[in-house]
Order: sequence, then structure tokens, then C-alpha cells
Amino acid sequence: MSMDHAAAPTRQSALSRYRLLWGQTPQSFRIGLVILLVHLIVAATGPLWAPYGYSQMGTGIPLSGASWEHPFGVDQLGRDVFSRVVHGSHIVILLSLSGTALGLVVGAVLGLLSGYLGGWFDNLLQRLLEALISIPFLVLALIAIASAGPELSGNPILVVLVVALVYAPRIARMARAAAMDIATRDYVTVARLRGESAWSVMRRELLPNATGVLLVEFALRAGYAPVLVGSLGFLGFGLRPPTPEWGLMISENRALIIITPITVLGPGLALASLVVGLNLFTEGLARILGRTVRLGAQ
Amino acid sequence: MTDTVQLLVVRNLTVAYRQGGGWARAVDQVSFSVQPGEVFGLVGESGCGKSTVSLQLLGYRHPSTKVEQGDVLFKGRSLVTMSRPELDRLRGDRIAFVPQNPTTALNPGIRIGDQLVETMVAHGRAEQVKGAAIAEVLKLVGLPADPGFQRRYPHQLSGGQQQRVCIAMALACDPDLLVLDEPTTGLDVTTQEQIVNLLSDLRRRIGVAMLYVTHDLALLSQIADRIGVMYAGRMVEIAPTHEIFLRPRHPYTQGLIASIPLIEEQSARRSRPLRGLLRRRELPAGCPFTPRCDHARDRCASERQELEAIDNGRAVACWRWREIAPIPAETSVASTGGRQSGPVPALSVDGVSVLYGPRGRGFRAVGDVSFDIKEGEVFALVGESGSGKSTLARVISGLVAPADGTIRLRGDQMAASVGGRSRDERRLIQYIFQNPDASLNPRARIGETIARPLAHFFGMDAARAKAALADALHDVRLDASYQDRYPDQLSGGERQRVAIARALVAKPALLLCDEILSALDVSVQASILALLQQLKSEHGIAMLFISHDLAVVRMLADRVCVLYGGEVMEIGAREAVFAPPYHPYTYSLLHAVPVPLRRPDKPAKSRGLVEPKRGGVGCVYAGRCPWQIEGVCETERPPWREAPGGIRLRCHLTLEELSARAGWTAAQDKEIAV
Repeated sequence: MSMDHAAAPTRQSALSRYRLLWGQTPQSFRIGLVILLVHLIVAATGPLWAPYGYSQMGTGIPLSGASWEHPFGVDQLGRDVFSRVVHGSHIVILLSLSGTALGLVVGAVLGLLSGYLGGWFDNLLQRLLEALISIPFLVLALIAIASAGPELSGNPILVVLVVALVYAPRIARMARAAAMDIATRDYVTVARLRGESAWSVMRRELLPNATGVLLVEFALRAGYAPVLVGSLGFLGFGLRPPTPEWGLMISENRALIIITPITVLGPGLALASLVVGLNLFTEGLARILGRTVRLGAQ
Repeated sequence: MTDTVQLLVVRNLTVAYRQGGGWARAVDQVSFSVQPGEVFGLVGESGCGKSTVSLQLLGYRHPSTKVEQGDVLFKGRSLVTMSRPELDRLRGDRIAFVPQNPTTALNPGIRIGDQLVETMVAHGRAEQVKGAAIAEVLKLVGLPADPGFQRRYPHQLSGGQQQRVCIAMALACDPDLLVLDEPTTGLDVTTQEQIVNLLSDLRRRIGVAMLYVTHDLALLSQIADRIGVMYAGRMVEIAPTHEIFLRPRHPYTQGLIASIPLIEEQSARRSRPLRGLLRRRELPAGCPFTPRCDHARDRCASERQELEAIDNGRAVACWRWREIAPIPAETSVASTGGRQSGPVPALSVDGVSVLYGPRGRGFRAVGDVSFDIKEGEVFALVGESGSGKSTLARVISGLVAPADGTIRLRGDQMAASVGGRSRDERRLIQYIFQNPDASLNPRARIGETIARPLAHFFGMDAARAKAALADALHDVRLDASYQDRYPDQLSGGERQRVAIARALVAKPALLLCDEILSALDVSVQASILALLQQLKSEHGIAMLFISHDLAVVRMLADRVCVLYGGEVMEIGAREAVFAPPYHPYTYSLLHAVPVPLRRPDKPAKSRGLVEPKRGGVGCVYAGRCPWQIEGVCETERPPWREAPGGIRLRCHLTLEELSARAGWTAAQDKEIAV
């Protein structure tokens, strides 16, 4: 009983503290979060309530345009585009997030070590990363897929690896800049004087202090990852039909855009709203983190 | 006194800052006045609201700043209600501001001549610009007035020259009031002396009134006519300068004065730290100083103390002022002189030189420095910035590899860089940095920060480290509950204690203390100093204590080494270094330190700030030395001289000549210099 009494006020104050925090968040963060939540809910529960299956044919008259029954119309093969968009949601989100996450891990480790160690390791790695960054990202992705060979094409793991390959060098550069800044702080010097290994310094001193930068970088990259995945699908280098991947769907229906624009617009809108949501969220997040970082420094 | 003769009247000024959801009071009902031509000093610890007051004298407005009550009257006009265009006409013209940090106050992309003109043009004095006005104002602040100098950029000037330019900019329109916010805090003690001399000189010549904001009470005694002491946003005492030092009335003022380390006294009086810390969140309704006051009664915490006029222009906000006698300063036992056990010194530095920059054209930061530090001894390195003190500490720690020379720890030669040293060697030398904000990982709890060396050097597991942790915190007089806190929940002094604890748990033989007090408030400094003195006697660890503050060095050090331009000028036992015969540089350092109530009777004595002549054929101090022998010092290396009392110094003048000159007055100096 006494435990409950003690716990109640803290829970209450925790709740009001969260409410206060929410009140202080920027508008872009709130709007972005709402859009993102809608997408996540659709991705998680979509297959349970989507009116039709993603490859179910004969759901209506092909190319019949938007109606209450088929909000995004029906494609050439008689598949309901709305159901396909709903089914494809988790594919796009999973591919984007896991690709970006892999890029973050690789990029952060390389970048932080490179910024802290400096010297020939830094020089060599940076030239390599610059070479990768200088290639336009879509071209780089296509080169990587082409060199992986035909037997791997259409494999979702390949798409994840390609997203990581495109983003890792860019994230590494940000991580390196952060590490170079943090490495000048005295607490890093203290660790160095203690004889800590570079790995230990990175894990204990650099990484905890670079989380703000890395989090924003992750959200920013994740915001554009659906575009990359969609572009690959659109060009036919991503997943294989009949996977309901949005870029692939836009590609499949683009020839008929004059007759039934909604079949292209539907997946296009879904993609656009995800990207806008992610970007608003990122912008808000960056502002919140920037604020706390500033406050912490005072 | 009526308002008509007052230049500036601040009446019941109450200022609040937006904080979180509400407003936090930074200044609470502060009243004082400044007469024409008067220098009024405002003193207090950081966070006491002194800078907030100074900003209000400029009519500073910001959406997150609110003047809740009161008024600031300048020549009878209110700055609080004045319209923006009117303020713009007044600011820079009648009231001018000299900021703390000249490096950031000057625009790095504009030549200084052009920056000086800006103020004049803004106040419709463009016609003056054509005339000799700029040259005049530059001459006024002791800068060369030639066009070549006016065409320089700020980065081509030294810190002292930059501050002179800032003062020149403030004086450009011949203002009635100069507001100075810690104008010498970032400067060397010799540069500070010159700036303060310049300010008192300016005041004599052009009769400008000044409001001088600083945390340094000793410095104020050199220049101020009256001093106002602030605490937690309230004015607690106002008095003429002499009165405040001779008969401080408020307990806080008494505490502040007692915590000033004094350089003069032979018995090395221990400065008495103020108890506790200013915690603005936990202030009582009455006198804000109650929690830290030795004389507090119940009434203090509940009843608000207003400034009460007591006699000849003094006022104090304490109802017990009649009963409170100043607390006599503690006289400490004479320094134990260190445990000089064993013939092998803890550390010996032999012929170390450091070059920065490209080979051949490099910059010689340290040149041929040798010294020993005995076990348990506090060895102080003093000198102004750029003298190579920190570079030496970095060489000893292995962060910087010397170009020449060796470092021995307990007799064994160590590798030049930290990577080549053994685990034990790294453990035995621990470095404590100047700025405690930067030396603790902000994302690690205090416990993790202190436990890391335990795990690294002794392989301790979490359970054993936990016990050691409490001991370590106890050693630096912090509560064991601190281990769960993050650095931003600690004050500057507490963070520095944590940094000291982290160094101590490694059980070092030598602590490198690099200006560890200079980022702290005076009263906090005194308490850290007391801690270091206790650690010295409890643990017997040798310390290399780097400081530009000679008063602190005098209280703590056993031996002192004076560096200039990277070379040793004088080295020896503390009392011998602080007594004649002085090396000329030691002499100028000692006389640049502000001592309460000892006004400088001389104009700036040394020959201005000249870059040390590094790696030249003569003495590095030649060119700046007031006692220079023409034709000798600039061309020949000075010889080492052994003086009684165990000091060695390096000068062309003989010991007899040096002893004689130690008693000279400024007038004689001038004759020699001419």
C-alpha cells in the first residue's frame, strides 16, 4: 500500500512532465510524428484490413479510375491499387529503415574512428569516401546492383545493402566532423593519457556525445531512403513484380497515366506523404536536440 | 545629495529573465548612483546579477528580459522607458560599453581604423573622421597612431592591444559614462596592470565616469572610488573603497575579502574560503546570504534586509552589522616544505626544447628547460600566456613530443609520447585541466567518470570500484550521492573536485595541475586551494602547479620556476623567489599583481609588450626588460647566477645590482629607461 502511495505522485508528475515536453515541441515535429504514426499503423496492420490481396486479380473493371470501392482505381491486371499500396507499406518502410540503419552503424564507426585517429587511416578512408560520394547516388546504386550479378537482383537484402552503401559515406563524413570536434575536449585527452584504445575512446567518449548529430543524420537519411528504394523499383532494379513496392507500381502504371492518373498518383502520394512526414519529423527532432545540446553546454 | 548632481541613478531596479515557463529574478531592487567622473565598482561572484545591471545601464532590451520594477536614470532621463531611436542616439555617444572579450567584440574582417570610425559616423561626427580624431583617440589609449597601425586587422594585435582598441572605440565620442564588463578577465596579469593603469590615467585626463564590473575585488581597489557588492541579485553593501577593505560590514563582503589570496604577507596567510555555494533555487525569503552566513539568526531567513545608510556614504543590507566584527584571517602553519624523501626526484626534466610548426621555420615554444620535482613537493611554473607553461605540462604527460631533451620519472627515462609509455608510467602522471566544463564527459555519470581509471589501471570490477568511489569522493569532500549525477548538475568548483578525484584514484606520483583555479570564482578558488593544501599533506603527491596567479603560487608552492618566452628566468625555493634579489621579469610580474589598497604609484613601467626574442643570440627578455643593459642583453646569452636561499637566475646584472634595483621606485626606473 505504502508503495502505491509513494509511486502515485511520481507517475503523475512524469505524465505532466511529458505533457509539458510535448507542449514545447516544434509544430513540424508534431505534424511529422502524426503522419509517421499513420504510416506505421498502416504498415503494421494493413494486411489485416486491406480489402483485397496484393496480387488478387479481377477485383474490378481494369483502368476504371477512382471510386468508393477502389479509391486508387484498378490497374491493367484488375488489381485494386489501394490494397496494393497498403500491402506495400511495410516493405518500403522496412527496406528504408534497415538500409539506413546499416548505413548508420557502418558510417558512424568508420567516421568516428577516422576523425579520432586522423593520420594515414583518416586520409585513405576520406579519399575513398569522397570517391563514393562524388558518384551520383542513383548511379552508384545501379553500379552496385549491376556488379552484384543477375542472380541476386530482386533480392530485398541487396536493396538494403545498396541503401547502406549509398548512405554510409555521407553519414561517415558527419560522424568524422563530430569526432574531430569532440576529440579536442579535455575528457578525450584524459582518456588518451590513460592509454585507452581507439575503440574504447570511440565507444565511451565519442559515441555518447555524438548521438545528437547521428540521430538527426539517421532521420534525415531515412527521410530520403523511400525515394531511393522507390527509384530503384521504378527503374526495375529493385524488387520484382508482383511485389507491391510503390516505385515498382508507379513504373508499371506509368504508361496509362493519361487514362487513369489515379493509379500512379495513389502510390506516388503514399510515397510523398511518407517522405514529407519523415522530413518534418527530422526537422523538429533536429531543433529539439539542438536546443538541448545548447542548454547542456551552458 | 540630490539627483541633479548624479550622472546616473539606478533606483530599485528589478530585472527578470524568462526561464522555462516563468520568469526568474536576476536582479532584485538594486539601487545606487554614479557621480560625474566617478569610478563605481560592482563586484560579486558569477551569477550575482552584476552583468545584468551593467546591461540595463545601456538600456538593453530583449524579449526574454523584463524590467519588472525600478528605473535607470541617466542625467535625469529614464533609460527603461526611453524610445529606441533616442537610446540609439545615447548609446555609444554618451554611454559607451567595453566588453569582456575583445577577441569576439572586434569584427575580424574590418581594419581597426575603420572600426573606430564606425562609432563616430553613427553619431553624426563624420566630419571629425577626416581630422586627426582617430589618431588622437588612439594616442589616448597608448596605441601607435600611424596609418600603418590603423590598417591592421584585429588578429594582428595582441590581446592587450585589442582591449585598448575596444576602449578607444568606446571613447571615440567622448562619452560621459563608460560601462566596463570584466575588461581584463581574459588578459595576463602584466597586461591587466597596463589596462588598469590606462583606465585610471584616462579618468584623470578626461574625467569620464566608469561603472567597472568584475569579480576581482583586489583589482577594484586599484581603480574604484566606491564599490557596490552584489549577492544573488541584491546589493548587500555600498562603501568607499578604503572603507570596504578596512571595515567591511556585510558578512558576505568580509568573506570575499578574506578569500583573496595575498601575495604580500610573509607568513603566507591562508585565504579563508566562503562556506557553501550560491544556490539560487534555495534562497530564503529574507537575506539571500543566510545559508552561507556565519552570523545568521532565525530573523535573517525570514526578514528582508534593505540597504541601510550607516555613515559617510556607506550602506549595508544586514540588520546585525553593528555586532559583526570582521573575522580575523587564519594564519596557517608554515608550509611543511614537502616530504623530501629519497635522493631520486619524482620527475626530472632535462634540457627539454619544443618546436611547433614546420622544421626549420618552426616556433620555439620551450627552449632548454631543466628542473627536478622532488617526491611530495609542489613545484610551480609561473609566467604569462605564451611562456610555455602548458607546453611543458603537455611534454611531461606525453601529449607533445619534445624536439630535444629527456623526461625521467623516478629516475627512469620515459618514452616521448604517451603511446610508448608503460601502463604504470601513464598511471603515475595524472593531468588536471584548466576548464572543468570540458574535462568531464557530459554524457557520463560522475561515478562512471571516476570508476574508469580504476577499471583501466587496476582491473577493478564494478563492486570493488563502488567502494573505492565513495572514498575518492570523500577525498575531495563531495558526498557519495554525487556519483549518480551528470556533470551539468554540478557547479564549476564541484566539477573541478571530480576532475581531481579522477586523477587521485589512479594513485599518481605526480599531478599536473594546469591553471586549475583560473576558471573558478574567487571564493570557489579558495576552497579548492584549501583542498589542494590538505591533499598535499595527506597524500604527499608531487604536483606541477601551473598558474599565472602569483598569490596562489605563494600559498601552495614549495619551489617556483619563472618562465618567459619558453626559457627559465629564475628557479628556486618559494620564499627566495619572492624576495630580492629578483630577476627583472619576476620583479615586473610581482608588481603587476593587484594588492588591495596598494595603488600603483607609477605609470606602466615595462617597455610595453614586445614579443619574446625566441632562439635569438641574446636574452629572451631583452627588449622588454626595464633594467636592460644596452649593447649587452640583446647580443649575449645571460649567465646563470646562484643566489643565497637556493635560487638560480639568469641575468647579465650581478646579484648585487639586482638587489639594489629591487628597492627602486618607478621614477628611477624611468630615468634608466630614457
